[in-house]
Amino acid sequence: MPSFFSNKRLIVLLVCIIILVALIGYSMSERRSLTWPEQFITDSVGWVQSAFSRPAHFVAGFFENLDDMRNLYEENKILKSHLDEYASLQVELNDLRRQNEELKDSLGVRDNLYDYTVRSALVIHRSPDRWNEFIGINKGAQDGIEENMAVMTSKGLIGKIHQVSQFTSTIQLLSDQARNNRISAFVDSDNKINGFIEGIDSETGYLHFTMIDIRAELEEGQLVVTSGLGGVFPDGLLIGEIISFETDEFGLSQTAYVKPTADFYNIDYVLVIESRAPTLSPEIDPDVEGEES
Amino acid sequence: MIRYSLFIALFVLFIAEGTVYQIFAPDFRGFDYLLLPRWVFVVIIFAGIYRGRAMATLYGIVFGVMYDVIFSSVLGVYTFAMGLIAYLLSITHPFLQRNLLVGIFTCFTAVVVLEYFVYGIMLLLGFTTIPHEEFFYIRFLPTVAMNVGFIAVIAYPLRKWFYYLRQKQEEQSKFNS
Repeated sequence: MPSFFSNKRLIVLLVCIIILVALIGYSMSERRSLTWPEQFITDSVGWVQSAFSRPAHFVAGFFENLDDMRNLYEENKILKSHLDEYASLQVELNDLRRQNEELKDSLGVRDNLYDYTVRSALVIHRSPDRWNEFIGINKGAQDGIEENMAVMTSKGLIGKIHQVSQFTSTIQLLSDQARNNRISAFVDSDNKINGFIEGIDSETGYLHFTMIDIRAELEEGQLVVTSGLGGVFPDGLLIGEIISFETDEFGLSQTAYVKPTADFYNIDYVLVIESRAPTLSPEIDPDVEGEES
Repeated sequence: MIRYSLFIALFVLFIAEGTVYQIFAPDFRGFDYLLLPRWVFVVIIFAGIYRGRAMATLYGIVFGVMYDVIFSSVLGVYTFAMGLIAYLLSITHPFLQRNLLVGIFTCFTAVVVLEYFVYGIMLLLGFTTIPHEEFFYIRFLPTVAMNVGFIAVIAYPLRKWFYYLRQKQEEQSKFNS
């Protein structure tokens, strides 16, 4: 027994294993925000990363442009046919917008979840081991970014802000497999059909849209958008289109497969969406009243 | 400057792994297999053979911490694995220093151990559910092949550089004494 304890290396190894387990336990705890050493490391490395990522994106973009040029003619034809449609839609949109404003004025409704601020940010890194789907951007708490804000590209929603540092932050993509990666969404049809977007199918690349009411009538090709019920997420950000659906294993709800409109792979710039709508007005918020009394 | 040149080289490789490589990553462009870069790690292991155990372990821990904090969702996994593997495999025997192939084989062992260690931890913590077969064919084999290929290509110039560094340092210590 004494010879066992005299082995200094073994003791150091054991201590290291204990520290490893403690660190894993610490970082697995829920709702953890970054500590200052972590913020220092991510910010200082992030500064160098943004310096490197700009030229790299530029080179990648250059090759994509060359690729695009080949099918320019085809694309132009399709776009022209869309243009006629666009004019008539524009007239209809203006009309509806004016009508909507008038109706809102008459009802006295001011805020809605469509009000949001948009900040654009550059993608500076992505985890090289594909065990999680995190990407880093070059804006952080100093630029007004907060946890759980919605993040999208021009094509659709891609995820939410996971951790915020002072000058950088991390985004958890919709395709991340972690169990807490869940977003409230609904199907854009005559009657709202609610559910949750939860993880991705690794083979097909379709998102799981779960917890849909068993009586709801789904159709292929319907659009899925964010519901805004979470509070931080604004209403009506496009996620994808329903490809197929089935009753889940217990027969209590339905699961649909949603093809995301956004591309999760070649991302260079992202838009961080901050919903400006207050969750509850101060007069009726029970927490505010509790503090006063 | 010469003293920190290895650290600077490793840091540039680290940025290349996380930022530059990710923009051009082949698995985003329709390639079915995952080629994960472990360049920093293999260079640390290779440096351990020529520059000693203490340095390799220190660099293993430093870059492990950076991996954990910046990319990973769990802290400690890479710090522990990279530090420990670098400690165990940095054998500064002249036999290893003279034979490049043995050095490359050491790096191969290191990548194999690291990949399995991280897969095991992720499976244990429930961050992944992929079966072993899929891990082995989609992830493990291409990754190991790519990293061994990488170190095989740069092994010779790297060894020359390490000898050059040693020579410079010896000159400096003579000059100082």
